Amino acid sequence: MKYIETEIVVIGSGPGGYAAAFYAADHGKKVILVEKDLELGGVCLNRGCIPSKALLHAAHLLNEVRHSKEMGISFGEAKIDLDKLRSWKDSILRKLSQGVRSMGKMRGVEVMHGRGYLEDSRTLRVETTEGQKFVRFQKAILAVGSEPAMPKAFDLGNKRIMTSTEALELEDVPARLLIVGGGYIGMELGTVYAALGSKIVLVEALPNILAGADPDLVRPVMKFALAHFEEVRLSSKVLKMETYLKQIKVISETAGQKREELYDRVLVSVGRKPNCDELGLKNTKVALDEKGFVKVDVHQQTSDPAILAIGDVAGGVMLAHKAVKEARVAVEYLCGEATAFEDIVMPAVVFTQPEVAWCGLTEAEAKAKGIEVKVARFPWAALGRALTINKPDGLTKLILDPDTERVLGVGIVGSGAGDIISEGVLAVEMGATAKDIAESIHPHPTLSETLMETAEVFYGISANSMSGRKIERQPQT
Amino acid sequence: MEIKIPHLAEGISSGTVVSILVSEGDAVKKDQTLLELETEKAVAPIPAPAAGKVAKIKVAQGDAVTIGQSVMLLLVEEGGDSQAQGESLKRQAPAAPSEAPMNVPQPAVLPARYEAVQAGGQLPPGIPPPASPSLRKIARDLGIDLARVRGTEHGGRITLADLRDYIQQLQQAGAAPAAYPPAAAVRPPSPPVDFSKFGPVRREPMTHLRKKISEKMSESWSSVVQVTQMDEVEISALLALRNKHMAAYEKAGVKLTLTPFILKAVVRTLQHHPIFNASIDGASQEIVFKNYFHIGIAVDTEQGLIVPVLKDVDKKSMLEIAREVNDLAGKTRERKIGLEDLQGGSFTISNQGGIGGAHFTPIVNKPESAILGIGQGREKPVVKNHRVEIGTLMPLCLSYDHRLIDGGNAARFISDLVQALEKFDESEVLLRSSETKPLAVKKGNKVKK
Repeated sequence: MKYIETEIVVIGSGPGGYAAAFYAADHGKKVILVEKDLELGGVCLNRGCIPSKALLHAAHLLNEVRHSKEMGISFGEAKIDLDKLRSWKDSILRKLSQGVRSMGKMRGVEVMHGRGYLEDSRTLRVETTEGQKFVRFQKAILAVGSEPAMPKAFDLGNKRIMTSTEALELEDVPARLLIVGGGYIGMELGTVYAALGSKIVLVEALPNILAGADPDLVRPVMKFALAHFEEVRLSSKVLKMETYLKQIKVISETAGQKREELYDRVLVSVGRKPNCDELGLKNTKVALDEKGFVKVDVHQQTSDPAILAIGDVAGGVMLAHKAVKEARVAVEYLCGEATAFEDIVMPAVVFTQPEVAWCGLTEAEAKAKGIEVKVARFPWAALGRALTINKPDGLTKLILDPDTERVLGVGIVGSGAGDIISEGVLAVEMGATAKDIAESIHPHPTLSETLMETAEVFYGISANSMSGRKIERQPQT
Repeated sequence: MEIKIPHLAEGISSGTVVSILVSEGDAVKKDQTLLELETEKAVAPIPAPAAGKVAKIKVAQGDAVTIGQSVMLLLVEEGGDSQAQGESLKRQAPAAPSEAPMNVPQPAVLPARYEAVQAGGQLPPGIPPPASPSLRKIARDLGIDLARVRGTEHGGRITLADLRDYIQQLQQAGAAPAAYPPAAAVRPPSPPVDFSKFGPVRREPMTHLRKKISEKMSESWSSVVQVTQMDEVEISALLALRNKHMAAYEKAGVKLTLTPFILKAVVRTLQHHPIFNASIDGASQEIVFKNYFHIGIAVDTEQGLIVPVLKDVDKKSMLEIAREVNDLAGKTRERKIGLEDLQGGSFTISNQGGIGGAHFTPIVNKPESAILGIGQGREKPVVKNHRVEIGTLMPLCLSYDHRLIDGGNAARFISDLVQALEKFDESEVLLRSSETKPLAVKKGNKVKK
């Protein structure tokens, strides 16, 4: 048997995998990147972040146009060419995937297409189109990601019951679409299909949508959903689904009351599961946690000395930027640097209308952990820039340490929140205080001003808002 | 497994590969030296952490390497592998050798009294200390827990200057004993004097070795209660003995100096006075008596004082001692001494006889408890059998840690040492039969010439 020798093999070419491969190559390592799909980029680039953001942009455009009448601008009814929309979206994916490929080529990273299977802790078998190849590695980085979970009860083999993967394919625009699960995927795709013309019913098992975000940040999104979806059913469950002619018959339950309805399509967005099967982990010392994710330490090291894991498969929040950071930690660790995935401020963004973004400590988390905090809020209705772009639904808040006034967390809901949050991440990472933010000039009129305004609210010196707090003392310098 | 350059000693972050002792494909034993690294201070061997086979050598002789750099790839034998790797799984910082050299810094933690209280009191659980990511990276590299650093900015935010202050405090605290809370440790260093006011000056950076010596000396000076016991020994007989056997040693290829005699006599005396070969364990409040006699020998090098250690002096013949002392001193002066030859001393000798000077007060080489200083032997009138004669008197200066050793002990020790030197047993000097033969063979080629 002929072995291909390498220092590092990275399995999976998503944002974590290709980042790990590229960092390692930049550190002078010989790297092989193994990808089971034909395209590089993983879920993020092909079936997640990027295609959903492309479609959401189209949805936002449609919604903008529909609201332009208030400004005295009329375009008439929008015509949607679904084929063209789909190919525009796909062209973006192709461009980005090609970009990843050429960046890899420039770094001398060898890309091998095929499913990888660990024969043991030193050998990866890759099922390529040219037959089996055997890679002998010194270290392997697992970056195999996750896939949408499909509960057995809903898995009828009917293509009208979709996960996010199929929903992003945009095969058609169903007249009636049921979305099971009101997390960020359900809410984002609901926004897309609602704009394209579907009547949407959303069923969420919990008493609120967007679990994890503070309820005050969710409120404007809920307001949008109530206006654009046919119905949002909270604390509700889908009990059963079955194929009924060209539709899906769905039995659901809300507050003890059962109902039976017909839908043209169903989107199941109830979470994601790690891709640990069919990887040969049983031939290694890699251990899984009780939820089936690969157990890692702060260096992304698994229980097998030769194997590291990053991204979704390593558990924690399933976000591309988390995988990228973990990729850096893993490679730095392999290169002997002092590094660890610790004390990291993780931002989260939901690309709904309006966007929700937060980082660091949330108010709910502070309450749950018994951490005493002070919260300063600034509603966007008082913000000039928000009104000029016709987006007054928004809120910025700072979660502060009451003694030191240090920024422990930032939460934003509003147009462009996903971009503004980066300043929040920097503030929390830097250990900045509310004073630091208040003292830094934010240009007017912008949406980023809200961070400064919120800090000023905390000190009772905001010109655009009444905080009720009296200035007790001269601000410290 | 990757062989990485381990943490070698305080302040040493890089070095040069001076020799590679294995080749690709070689089977190596655990602890076998793979390559030697020359650092600012010494030559450090890099041992194999486990038995295995050298798969790849990534460096060449003369290459500059840094700590943490992977230099070799070792295919580890089954069994040893998982253990060695498992350790690295737990470790936070890059690998350090299991047998840490004496000079390796203690974890950078200040005694409680220096600990800063965060401006806002205790940090909430799970909230890291307020500092920028870049500063936290520096702290991680240095192994410093930022939760212990006092932040001076608004909100207790820690700046680079705060971290610098903390490190300075650590260094000062390291120079002060825990038992004596020194006000000096927290006092800022005295303001610099502008010497150029008084005349022309020249400034030179302190070398790494000089800084090291300075630190060690201050530490010993401030933590050990030192007394120096003086005496003189009449060495005419000893010199005669030396001269008598010099030729035989010369034949064996070694120049016989007084040092092996002194070493022998010192070890003999230490065997009778074990407290001088002991150390205080402050943490457990115990006295550690060492059943070995590793004697440090102060060597005056161009760069400054270095103290290599001659191991197991009690088990060695005069010839072995003579030869090894010469080797050690030579290697030290050439700065090729290995770290393993710089540690483990139980008593130190500082012989200034070759240079000049009489009595002086040597400083105890912590954690040892005593040091013997030796001045130059000089002809002086001595009284023997009620008559004044010319004798050669060699000054002896025994500094000891008065916390552990009383004055009576010291007086008894130095008297016994004088006896041991004045009545040196000639049978010790005679070459063993095994020591005379093989050398003739070894030197054979040269002799023929």
